[in-house]
Amino acid sequence: MHHYTALIIPLLILFIVSHGLYKKLAVYEEFVDGAKEGFTTAVRIIPYLVAILFAIAMFRASGAMESLINLIEPVFVFFGIPPETLPMAIIRPMTGSGSVAVLADLIETHGDDSLIVKIAATMFGSTETTFYVLAVYFGSINIKKTGYALQAGLIADLVGFIAAVSVCYWYFS
Amino acid sequence: MLNYIWAGLIIISISFALGHDLHDEWNNTHENGLAIQIPFTQLDDSTLIELHYANTTISAHWKNSQHLQLIIPATSTSHKNKTFTHRLLSHDKELLADVTHIDPDNQSLTIVLPEIHWSRMQAISDAAFDMAKFAVTLAIALAGIMALWLGLMRIAEKSGMIFFFVKAIQPLLHWLFPEIPKNHPALGSISLNLAANVLGLGNAATPLGIKAMQQLQSINQKKEQASNSMCMFLALNTSSVQLLPPVTLIAIMGTQVSELIIPIILATSASTLAAVITAKSYARLNR
Repeated sequence: MHHYTALIIPLLILFIVSHGLYKKLAVYEEFVDGAKEGFTTAVRIIPYLVAILFAIAMFRASGAMESLINLIEPVFVFFGIPPETLPMAIIRPMTGSGSVAVLADLIETHGDDSLIVKIAATMFGSTETTFYVLAVYFGSINIKKTGYALQAGLIADLVGFIAAVSVCYWYFS
Repeated sequence: MLNYIWAGLIIISISFALGHDLHDEWNNTHENGLAIQIPFTQLDDSTLIELHYANTTISAHWKNSQHLQLIIPATSTSHKNKTFTHRLLSHDKELLADVTHIDPDNQSLTIVLPEIHWSRMQAISDAAFDMAKFAVTLAIALAGIMALWLGLMRIAEKSGMIFFFVKAIQPLLHWLFPEIPKNHPALGSISLNLAANVLGLGNAATPLGIKAMQQLQSINQKKEQASNSMCMFLALNTSSVQLLPPVTLIAIMGTQVSELIIPIILATSASTLAAVITAKSYARLNR
């Protein structure tokens, strides 16, 4: 099923452009008009990205993240969750590239057929990089007071992780 | 909330690194200024030499064949030896060790390594600068993809395609975002963003989401503060509603990913449901 995803984007582009032509639009000019906004928006989010990314990078480099993982590990063991999946649960909301590295590392150590990797991959696939999304989306419109968006995002992450673990235990047994 | 988490990350990182470095200074973990005696093997016909230190073999070579200094290249640090690895990380390419004494009969030599101080503090400031640079790279990369999708969006918007799409999921959108007036363009961007998410197209979802945020900002009462609709929309995006696994996961896992599709759909439905319920409850409390 997954290899059909390669078709979605080209077909979508074809459909949008041909539908535009059918409606007698100046498709090229409309495209350029819309595309102009891309650059200004990207520049506007830079300060927000720097703020979020540098704080998280410092947290990882200081070794505090490892200690946090060591601290929470007993909780995971208590609930019978493989503690190897803990780094994924903590890093996933913080950095996208970091969580890719964690997953690659788990595959390397445990093999891609292990339950650990399946749980970690399900965690990876079922949530987004909350802090990054927050920085980009709110940064693009200069929102500094984020309201309850972060809380809602983190609660969703937590529920997603718990669901990933329980679903994998049920599905792969 | 974000203020506290952000400041917390910074304060915890720096105090943690400082504590760690002070501990290293106190105990001289890095063996600064100490003469270390290491057994070695002189390899034939060259200036190459192998050091046998703490169960690991470290390759090095004599500097200009003068038997006074050793050069230890960074490539020799595949092991996890604290004394050498930390120094090589901070000297990034190679390490110059002073040889104070050679004992050819016992095949051992005595070296003094360059001093190393505040390694974690150094590491966090390096990480901060690297990430600050990376943020710009990321934003510039996003600019191109943004331009592509916003261009296509404009065509779809003008041709009326989005309108039909929005109409199809109007009831759901109205329940999720009661504050957005009917037929407002934000609904179009939101539904396209959700569609891209559902199909696992992260690259397409982000520009559409940003567009939606900008349109939501135009009907926001307090421009500095996130509205209920924005929070709901952000929560939906961080929990990533999806039917197909994200493209990055397919890239890492390969064909293995197909058996994860059902677990991922179930887990992501749970997290999305949690996001909607949380956002709805907060919205009710704030009213």
